[in-house]
Amino acid sequence: MTLRVLAIVGALGCADSLIIDPARFWANWLVWTLMLVSAGLGSLFLVSLEHLTGARWSIPLRRTAERVASLLIPGSLAMLAALIGIPVLFPWAQPGWPEDPLQAGKTAWLNVPFFTARAAACAALWIGSWKVLAGGSLELDRTRDPRLHLRLQRFSPFFIAVFALTVTVTAFDWVSSLSPEWYSDVLGVYLFAGVFLSGLSAVSLAAVSLKKEGRLQGVRFDHLYNLGGFLFAFVVFWSYIAFAQYMLMWYAHMPEEIFWYKDRVEGAWGAATLGLALVHFVIPFFALVTRGSKGDPRRLAWVSGLVLVSHYADLCWLVFPSLGLAPRFSWPEAAAGLLFVSVGLLWVRRATAQGDDLPVGDPALEEGLAFRL
Amino acid sequence: MGERVFAVLGVFAGPDALLDAASKLEGRGVGKLEAYTPYPVHGLGEALALRRSPLAGMVMVMGTLGTAAAFLFQWWMNAYDYPIVVGGKPLASWQAFVPIMFEVTVLFSAFTAWLGAVFLLCRLPGLWHPMLSSSSMPKLTRDRFALSIESQGRDFDAEATREALRDAGALETEVVRFPPAPKPASLTLLLGLAGAGALACVVAGLATYWTIKVFPTLPPMSRMLQQPRLGAQRSSSVFAGSAGFAPVAEGTVARGRLPYPFKTPEEAAVLGNPLPRTKAVLAEGKRRFDTVCRVCHGPLADGKGTLTKAYGASPADLRTRRYQAFPDGSVYHAIMSGKNAMPSFAKALTEDERWSIIHYLRALQRAADAKDSDLP
Repeated sequence: MTLRVLAIVGALGCADSLIIDPARFWANWLVWTLMLVSAGLGSLFLVSLEHLTGARWSIPLRRTAERVASLLIPGSLAMLAALIGIPVLFPWAQPGWPEDPLQAGKTAWLNVPFFTARAAACAALWIGSWKVLAGGSLELDRTRDPRLHLRLQRFSPFFIAVFALTVTVTAFDWVSSLSPEWYSDVLGVYLFAGVFLSGLSAVSLAAVSLKKEGRLQGVRFDHLYNLGGFLFAFVVFWSYIAFAQYMLMWYAHMPEEIFWYKDRVEGAWGAATLGLALVHFVIPFFALVTRGSKGDPRRLAWVSGLVLVSHYADLCWLVFPSLGLAPRFSWPEAAAGLLFVSVGLLWVRRATAQGDDLPVGDPALEEGLAFRL
Repeated sequence: MGERVFAVLGVFAGPDALLDAASKLEGRGVGKLEAYTPYPVHGLGEALALRRSPLAGMVMVMGTLGTAAAFLFQWWMNAYDYPIVVGGKPLASWQAFVPIMFEVTVLFSAFTAWLGAVFLLCRLPGLWHPMLSSSSMPKLTRDRFALSIESQGRDFDAEATREALRDAGALETEVVRFPPAPKPASLTLLLGLAGAGALACVVAGLATYWTIKVFPTLPPMSRMLQQPRLGAQRSSSVFAGSAGFAPVAEGTVARGRLPYPFKTPEEAAVLGNPLPRTKAVLAEGKRRFDTVCRVCHGPLADGKGTLTKAYGASPADLRTRRYQAFPDGSVYHAIMSGKNAMPSFAKALTEDERWSIIHYLRALQRAADAKDSDLP
């Protein structure tokens, strides 16, 4: 009930900010759309990773991941809604673009019909993949048909390919093309690191809170330890990719690349960049470096929360400077956050009411529960 | 009984029986528990209540040390010991140091983890251990699991311990004793191995050295000679007109070779001395004056140089009022273009050297006409 009220308050705030400052409203909308998509897509990646590798440890956590992955539905819808904001967000949708002959070569990719088609294709592929993987898992619980399990395993490689392509397209379309003259090949990998991190964090938070409610009793230190280990590894991976991108552009100092970093390293965003390094790398790294901390539910929960906040800050850092917005967190940001967080929580809570907490139809569930480090 | 008892060994059929027995015996004060298994058994560490290994802390300390060492080393090399500007970046650019810092952190951590685990914590190479004399050892590397209770003093009761192990489910038990005096051959063996290794290194080094020395024209040593490069005075297909070098763009000014457009001393009088009048500039002026000007104008610029006598020439006495009133720019013009019999010294002196000589000349003029107020 409280969540519903908060969602309505957030929606009213968003509507207000749309009237007053549409650019800022659409920037916030885009950031939160990517937040929902990240958490959902990262969780679905974890699910398909399990099918693909035949992992046992994550089976007791798979239903939780499938439920969190249902965030792809509101995320995809929000992304389709964000298409309305194209004329406000993207320089390439302005009349008179491109002024520069070097950018004229990008018109084949950056135009409204093709952009819309790509966004729609991504949304359809995500929702379809979620239906196959999560719906198939629920179906398996009912029928206990091992052929269905095999079908999920055979679908996973296709999803991995779809995942890689759609994450890259999303990074290039919704982040990179905010500054159409800029380009970075590794931005897709950069976004992937954030996507998997937020998926892992969302699954960890959901698992710990379900455990607190007395559900998911089979999930022990050993299972949480692996989630924490993945979280730790991908915190380092994100930092590696983020620094590699920065260092190459800093070293080459090409005018068509370096302006993007000048916007983010100089002035008010400079402090934000340092803060991002602190919350996205330094604190999670040292919080998870010891063996005991990776599987400790309390530690894992607050680090997961911090990583989600860091991913939000990271998305703001990617989107806001390109639109000339200052690093500020004021009521338009708060309203958008309130709306999306409460809708996301409501959505996941609704999903947790359906089916069993464990994938009881999985033939290897016993092995997964017995998993030891 | 003969030799001292090392431990009592109980052999179990499988990992579950072993875990069960370990948790039964742990904490009962029967002695130090140790397990011998053909493969790692999950949960054994908890059942034996092993202490946390100090390895993680060691790796953390050494990894941090690696980060700090790499940063300091690079900073010292790039910003202090051998400062070279690369790519127009500041000398101490932390961004460029990060990859090496990362690598050295990994290197120090990995070496600490490996060397620390193998040599410090596992105490390898241990060529001898009392358990190796147990008759159960072959089985323990195949399909049996054993728990040993090591003797920790005189009041160790081997029979009671055997009984405890049998109660915990051991299939068979065995009292393991220290074997008679271990053979002291290990030191000789180690020295022999080290000697052979050192010999192999010396042989390989000498062989490499002589191969390169004797056959410098064989590949791969000759590859350095076969580089694609353009010889002097050769034509190329890269630039227009088959020129070997790119033609110099119009208006190019070489470093330290500013064009000199003035034709007369009066025109050049607009130039001012760009150098500050410091001790270092005056010392440099004296050094260059003594090298280039002194031979004709004399050490005091009074026109009495060594060459004057030899050739009967009469260079100007630069201390006179006339030359004291000469503007700096006109003196510069004289150095650049020559004056009367004096040739141009533009090629012998750089721009800064010419101006420092003018500073020194002013000092000489002042010294020739010194006032009381000039005394310190």
